[in-house]
Amino acid sequence: MVNTNHTSDDISDLKSSALSHLWMHNRDWVKTGEDGGPDIMVEGSGIYVTDIQGKTWIDVNGGYNSVNAGYGRKKIADRSADQMRRLQYFPQGTTTAPLIQLSEKIASISPGDLQRTWPVSGGSEANETAIKIARSYHKRTGDTGRYKIISRVGSYHGATGGVMWLGGTGAIRSDYEPAISGMVYAPQPNPYRCQFGSDSAEECAIKCAQAIEDLILLHGPETIAALIAEPVSASSIAAVPGDPYWPMIRGICDKYGVLLIADEVITGFGRTGKMFATEHWDIVPDLMTVAKGITSSYLPLAATVCTTGVSEVFAGEQNTFKQALTFGGHPVCAEAALANIEIIEQEKLVENSANVGKYLLKKLNGLKEIHPLIGDCRGLGLLSGVELVKDQKTKESFTPESGLADKLSKAFRQNGLILFSTEKGFTVGPPLCIIEKEVDEIVAKIDASLSEVETQIKIV
Amino acid sequence: MVEINEGEILRQKSLDFLWMQNRDWVEMAEGGDPLIIENGNGIRVTDSNGKSWIDVNGGYTSVNVGYGRQEIVDAAHDQMEKLPYFPQGSTTIPTINLAKKLSEITPGNLTRTFPVSGGSEANETALKIARAFHSRRGENGRYKVISRKGSYHGTTGGVLWTGSNPATPRSDFEPPYPGMLYAPQPNPYRCEYGGTTSSECAILCANAVEQLIIENDPNTIAAFIAEPIATPLGCPVPGEEYWPMIRNICDKYGIVLIADEVICGFGRTGKMFASEHWNLEPDIMSVAKGIISSYLPLAATIVSENIASQFAGDGNQLRHVFTSSGHPVTAAASLKNIEIIEKENLVQNAATTGDYFKSRLIELKDKHEIIGDVRGIGLLLSMELVSNRDTKEGFAKELKLADRLNHKFRSEGLIFRASGHILNFGPPICITPSEVDEIVDSVDRIIKSLSREIGIGSS
Repeated sequence: MVNTNHTSDDISDLKSSALSHLWMHNRDWVKTGEDGGPDIMVEGSGIYVTDIQGKTWIDVNGGYNSVNAGYGRKKIADRSADQMRRLQYFPQGTTTAPLIQLSEKIASISPGDLQRTWPVSGGSEANETAIKIARSYHKRTGDTGRYKIISRVGSYHGATGGVMWLGGTGAIRSDYEPAISGMVYAPQPNPYRCQFGSDSAEECAIKCAQAIEDLILLHGPETIAALIAEPVSASSIAAVPGDPYWPMIRGICDKYGVLLIADEVITGFGRTGKMFATEHWDIVPDLMTVAKGITSSYLPLAATVCTTGVSEVFAGEQNTFKQALTFGGHPVCAEAALANIEIIEQEKLVENSANVGKYLLKKLNGLKEIHPLIGDCRGLGLLSGVELVKDQKTKESFTPESGLADKLSKAFRQNGLILFSTEKGFTVGPPLCIIEKEVDEIVAKIDASLSEVETQIKIV
Repeated sequence: MVEINEGEILRQKSLDFLWMQNRDWVEMAEGGDPLIIENGNGIRVTDSNGKSWIDVNGGYTSVNVGYGRQEIVDAAHDQMEKLPYFPQGSTTIPTINLAKKLSEITPGNLTRTFPVSGGSEANETALKIARAFHSRRGENGRYKVISRKGSYHGTTGGVLWTGSNPATPRSDFEPPYPGMLYAPQPNPYRCEYGGTTSSECAILCANAVEQLIIENDPNTIAAFIAEPIATPLGCPVPGEEYWPMIRNICDKYGIVLIADEVICGFGRTGKMFASEHWNLEPDIMSVAKGIISSYLPLAATIVSENIASQFAGDGNQLRHVFTSSGHPVTAAASLKNIEIIEKENLVQNAATTGDYFKSRLIELKDKHEIIGDVRGIGLLLSMELVSNRDTKEGFAKELKLADRLNHKFRSEGLIFRASGHILNFGPPICITPSEVDEIVDSVDRIIKSLSREIGIGSS
């Protein structure tokens, strides 16, 4: 137990303030109050965080799959503070040294000629920017009919007014209707549940890529602006497409003049065992969006990175891309990102993600042998997914009414894990500095949690 | 010499790798741009050549407490050392304290805060809450959003289509968002309905909102979003009648009133929030910029209990997530920023120094024919230039008025940008009267020299 110097009165005041005044994510304050109020985190180190009552937790989610360098990095804190002491902020009509250095760094580590960076503050903004650039790119090149965006069922690209209509994860969007126009939805290349009934990852990949070509032809290529996709989709519980998928997609986009946007918000900065996940298949997207791991969430930062081929049509006075965000290119966030990327490189966290990720997947597959709840384990690097089923043979999923998500969350909590699950499954995306021993600890606790839930729902 | 070369190398790299806002790298290269800013103090910043500038823009009308506040740095550093981040499934002490503080200082019963990272996200969140609020109450047909011509609410996919500004057409990003309705801007200097006083203009523009609602069927309208004072076309202050009438109209037709206080909030207009000038209590208020004086990215959507209560109870929760929502480091910085605003009475300073600033700009209007109008409240002030005071006519495009002005601002050591024929003044609200004099004297010289160049009278 860590002494956090908070009396029980302090704690109950804070919890009551949170319940009265704070709007938290995907939770409501009445239910949270009934459950004893929100957890209040006060400290962190590596993969561990400590709450205000002194209890230590393992953050299996790594924030939102985002704290790549792990908690407690004084170097990022000190470097950010140093920059903040010198210059706290300056808007992007002029610029600042850390931002220039960061954009150079991103160009040097990104695939191919992705070399011009539009900095923003979050993944949603980065994807909105990518879509705006894609639509105006076609206007600049005289292809004015191209406005539709292809995304994939089961993908997620953000919460703001445009990108919230991309992908689709079963979370209800009907509250926000009407949808924007020009959304085209393609299948997710999930080998475990191939929409086309394929029985190998390769076959599924080929069919899903062909489906995109069919969609483009159905709509007319002259109406399609871009295709946006995560190299590995975390919201599809880290389904990894078969190897033919990405090269085929790149070929199809080239064939029809469709811009390819790789959403590396989750997969970037080492998460999948490469600096960027498109490297697994040697493809270079036309635009790449990054967030989360770029600062390990130590400060809000994201970016839309463009190839020269895309950005050059915006050069020259009449061609300027019109968009401004107050916090775009924040110098303190840029300095935090530079320190963070330095840690990732110096400590070889990308390699560690590949190696420990393999170990993690092996251990999770071991759990599959003994837990009937587990239908599939998959992933790349330290982005793993565990899909849950009622029946391993029929692959039938649980319904939301089953209450499985709640039961699992409680079991994970009791075992000291911060691990979010739906009734369909969960992803394991811890900090990339995790070691094998810590993986053992997590897997043992997932093991225990699953056993408890299986006993509760009488599946053995 | 070595340092100058290093600055030059950096500048070159910025042209190669950075995509800057509203500028392009070819034009910048030709002009020897961009400037690289290295440090700041109060209303001044210093560039990589050691040259000092006055930041008349105050960042993007956003650095309310001014540059160089080490207390904010310490607060952010301390929090980052303890816990650099945690997502909003659980929460953190500074985020809770900030939510509580916001409920204390905001008008009416705005009591619940959804924290985000920028003004666009805050306004998107407000629109989503407004639409979801109606659908939770079974009024699924309410989706349209009324905004005003000449307003600005952000750049992301939804809010991009609210407001409008002739200087930044949106045709690049078509097709537009469904359900967008546009009302007139209550600008007394150029009343769309020919109102000859600010009161008359206010009443006509508020009536136009009601008319728009009736024409489109009230049962299809979700929200009305507006800045208490809109900056893009030069901070026109609506007549006294406007806001009380708008509040009544929204109540009458069950429409959610969203006050965008992204620029106006945190003392900018001489009140903590500009809604207070008219005792306006919006249903939702969005804030950004001044909440943290731009020291880090932070914004918030603050919601009245009446709206929020529709989202209470298991199964009713709003489904809306941002990774950096409720970031503890930004919350700690924001708390310290608000403490400085309160401790140093900066809201009061914005009111009194703003009055002084405005009176000095009015003196310039008496001297220079080209100044058509001076307006604003507190330290959100604006000057509109015209080629003819009687007709209020603008300027030929070939004159490149904004370019000429921006060039002159630069040679006077001012970070200041004309947007077309409009000059918006939004310096840090810690500015002193003698600093105001320094700015106004520069502007006086610039307007005089501009008037001479283009042949308009000045003394």
